[in-house]
Amino acid sequence: MSTITIRKATLKDIPFLTKTIIEAEKSGTSTLSYSTIFGLNLNEIEQLISEMLLEEVDDCELSISSFLIAEENGFTAASLSGWLENASEIPSSVLKGNLLNYYLPRECFIKAAESAKYTKALHIDYIPNTFQIGAGYVEESFRGRQLLGLLTEELIKGLTAQFPSINEIYAQIFDCNTPSLKTYERAGFEIVSTKISKENDTINYLPSLKKILLKKDIKKSEQKINNLNK
Amino acid sequence: MERTTITEKITPVFRKVLNEASLEITDQLSASDVDNWDSLSHMLLISEIESAFNIKFKLKELNKMKNVGDLISIISTKLEE
Repeated sequence: MSTITIRKATLKDIPFLTKTIIEAEKSGTSTLSYSTIFGLNLNEIEQLISEMLLEEVDDCELSISSFLIAEENGFTAASLSGWLENASEIPSSVLKGNLLNYYLPRECFIKAAESAKYTKALHIDYIPNTFQIGAGYVEESFRGRQLLGLLTEELIKGLTAQFPSINEIYAQIFDCNTPSLKTYERAGFEIVSTKISKENDTINYLPSLKKILLKKDIKKSEQKINNLNK
Repeated sequence: MERTTITEKITPVFRKVLNEASLEITDQLSASDVDNWDSLSHMLLISEIESAFNIKFKLKELNKMKNVGDLISIISTKLEE
């Protein structure tokens, strides 16, 4: 009998979390921003992400503590990250930028500076004091079983238990990532805005020219479910 | 180095990296106050500041900085080391 268990990620999960971050960055395409922006090869990217995760910096997309893992009979099937934005009064983008600055080889910075204009064109700020969903990934053999939906539900439960006054959770995805869009819509998220890059060269660095911002009002969703159950 | 001198030296760096020609640098200024202060901009910002002062921040030092005032304090301390 197969049983899915959900648990918090640990240091032992770093290889799977690295894969999750890489696959989420690619969003189903072959464009990996760590490669296009920094000029690194896959081995270098895996090493870089592993090193940054090992630092155990909390409250950003490169935090082990932000990730939940779905397991089936001891096999890691999927993972998803989420955090409270600005939890320590420092934006998650700053925490990630600090890690990149500390670990990236200097020669990557010139290439990164050249691409900044194109990647900024799709940047959407994280709103302080809201929950944010980061990278998610499901192993191919476990797809079609709504594991990301299950992880999303568990992530929200965990975050709201820790921060009960927070009511909004957001996810940013590229428009080419149809599976994630469907997952979040099924989980009660709604599209609140889209951002389209006017810089055509953005596509040379990122998986798409269009980004979608989704939001879920947690209390409103709970209310809807309660009303349906009455 | 005086805080005002450090502020004068970091102002053009902030304006160039964040592409905000009239950005006013105050102690209270933080990433939340400036549009498009993303992870890549922050990485480049810190790198340019390290080059400008010939210093290298520790990751723990970077992760304590909540605003520009904190950044100036740490630069000042590192220049005295």
